[in-house]
Amino acid sequence: MSNLKSADQFKLSFREEAREILVDLEAALLELNENRADDELVGRVFRALHTIKGSGAMFGFEVLAAFTHNLETAFDEVRNGRLQVTPELVDLTLSAMDQIRAMLEEREGAGEPVACAGILARVRSLAGIGSASQSAQTGLGSPPQAAGGPIRQWAIHFAPGPEFLLNGSNPLLLIAELRQLGGLAVKASMDAIPPLDELDPERCYIAWDMVLAGAADRDAIRDVFIFVEDSCELRIEPIAGTEEPRPEPGPASADAVAIAMEEPRTSAGGRRTYDKPDNASSLRVPAARLDQFVDLVGELVTVQARLAELSARRDDPEVAGVAEEIERLTSALRETSMNIRMLPIRSTFEKFRRLVHDLARDLGKDVELTMEGAETELDKTVIDQLGDPLMHLIRNSMDHGIEPPQVRLERGKRANAKIHLSARHSGASVLITVCDDGGGIDAEAVRRRAIEKGLLAVNAQLSEAETFALLFQPGFSTAKQITDVSGRGVGMDVVRQRVESLRGTIEVASKPGLGTSVTLRLPLTMAIIEGLLVSVEDACFVLPMASTLECVELSTRDIEQANGKHVAPIRGEVVPYIRLREHFGLRTPRPELEQIMVVESGEGRFGFVVDRVLGNCQTVIKSLGRYYRHVQAVSGATILGDGRVALILDPDRLVQDAVRVRTRNQAARASPQASPPQPHGAVRQPEGKAVRS
Amino acid sequence: MGIALEGSDAESVVRLDGAIDIASAAELKARLLEALSSGTGVRVSLEGARYLDATAVQLLWAAGRQARRSGVPFQLSGQLPDPLWAALADAGLQLFAIPVNAV
Repeated sequence: MSNLKSADQFKLSFREEAREILVDLEAALLELNENRADDELVGRVFRALHTIKGSGAMFGFEVLAAFTHNLETAFDEVRNGRLQVTPELVDLTLSAMDQIRAMLEEREGAGEPVACAGILARVRSLAGIGSASQSAQTGLGSPPQAAGGPIRQWAIHFAPGPEFLLNGSNPLLLIAELRQLGGLAVKASMDAIPPLDELDPERCYIAWDMVLAGAADRDAIRDVFIFVEDSCELRIEPIAGTEEPRPEPGPASADAVAIAMEEPRTSAGGRRTYDKPDNASSLRVPAARLDQFVDLVGELVTVQARLAELSARRDDPEVAGVAEEIERLTSALRETSMNIRMLPIRSTFEKFRRLVHDLARDLGKDVELTMEGAETELDKTVIDQLGDPLMHLIRNSMDHGIEPPQVRLERGKRANAKIHLSARHSGASVLITVCDDGGGIDAEAVRRRAIEKGLLAVNAQLSEAETFALLFQPGFSTAKQITDVSGRGVGMDVVRQRVESLRGTIEVASKPGLGTSVTLRLPLTMAIIEGLLVSVEDACFVLPMASTLECVELSTRDIEQANGKHVAPIRGEVVPYIRLREHFGLRTPRPELEQIMVVESGEGRFGFVVDRVLGNCQTVIKSLGRYYRHVQAVSGATILGDGRVALILDPDRLVQDAVRVRTRNQAARASPQASPPQPHGAVRQPEGKAVRS
Repeated sequence: MGIALEGSDAESVVRLDGAIDIASAAELKARLLEALSSGTGVRVSLEGARYLDATAVQLLWAAGRQARRSGVPFQLSGQLPDPLWAALADAGLQLFAIPVNAV
């Protein structure tokens, strides 16, 4: 059975699905805590639990399924109006979710009786469910609960597709699960089974027509098929005249079955309907396969660059035509492959609802989390690595930024504090901001602490941004006491390291008494960028196209008019520039006519003076490796069509680097005792682990 | 677990043992075709079967139908374990419905 996926793959697939369901469940629970009478939210929680239970049993997570069954029962009681939603029930369910998560990961100790017993005992006590042993025994095969809602009959047509069995799905188990929702009459149709010698033994030719009688709604029925809906034909239609409450939810009558089997499955409008969800056309692809695809596109881009180079040298119109066509297609393919990797940041943001809820409870603070721009899309690699930095920023904000309610009231603030998470695009970057309305950062305390720790000279003059940047130094903390939440000075260092590894920057703004905002500026993509190839002497560099505004000539006359200052008048604005020749320590004389590449950086408009602009190019970013990790102005390297290596410049960091050197040199000239001026002339890392603001 | 074909002048017996599912479906098909082409009556022994899935049921169904069309005696023998019988019945896959010839 080479086509068959292994059991491990199915478990993996279930885990992925279940993790997503748990994220939704968590969000629904936290919303439910705010709106306790919202039936829709109760239904959402119930369906999530039901799906985890049913599918868990199907994929061999029996303990998880039995455990979840109790929670499902509790929320069924809520659905039926016999149990109230209370903060206790929400907290209990959140704790149970953590257990489920641990069971999913098959962590050591997860699902053990001791770990689960406390939660289950409280759930059962709240919901008035029977004893543990009873629950365990009846957990999965228990008869349908007496339904409180109206009894309806549903005609269900279920026809597995050609790949259904190969995916490891079992129609018998699905039908057994459906039976738990109410009385079920089943008719299997064998009409499509071909002659034995033509029959594909791994394909399911049987289709089922069923009638379900019970309180289950369409969503609950669909949830049974949630993992297979893309590989089967599924129609769920109410049987007319069964909307009214019925006395018994027992097995469907023979008449009803006969009617349901004979009636054509048409909607009210007479059109045949297929009850597929909107996302039925989407496909789940393992991330590793996607990475491999993007790597191959990267290789293709490199080969295309070689072809373009070859075509330019050959001067053959036919070759040039093919090369241009390949370039166009490669560009489109690159764009498409990059888009495939883009994901909305919502799922990462949503995870923090729980963190804020739990921390607020533990710290005795009242904090509301608001979000903006959760649909903003980022490269999957960036999203995957954002969770930790954001978690540390939020924990820090909750612990140190936001004051206890009493203090807030004394300061004339609302007791209810706010943390606002936002994401938005800005050119080739995305800006993620964590903003709170807490007490703000005490810049003087940061300064004092830095001096105490020997990070700063006593007479050092720092801008506000430079002062706040100290917060991200390893081991730096101004917290007077270490708590469970933060204060060890580790978190902010993690934020800095992670953001730097993503080629991002951190900006901190804070107003005493009003709050703090930390903005992470991250690149949109991590793999291939559109770049401008420039040369200085024999060296080639790539500037990201997205941050480049324009290219203008810089003549000797322009330089003379500026009286030796590194500025040029461009469109009525005086734009400072960095001459890469000088910055990188190249000693050869500059040409008569140079080019200024004007970029938009975090410091405003800036120019980079180069010898020549060679043209635009698709650039596959190759890491420079650990040895060059402190070379901040260079974000990677790429291989050109002729085999040469070009460094990819990071305009933001280049500008910051130049500004820092210039400021330091100016300060050195003003104070001869301070460190000697540093020359321009090398891509440098001033202090090994410098912190950028 | 396994599928065996035993033949005599009067009858070919396809013996099912253990779990018969998609992993053994190709083999079951081959044995059924072999039995049906033997020129004798066919009996499928379910005595040792502990599990049958949809692939097994549809193969038995197709084999029974082919036997009937070609006038070959075809029968199922042996009792399925209760849980298996119930699971198949719950899914509308009662084996008695297989279109067999009167033996």
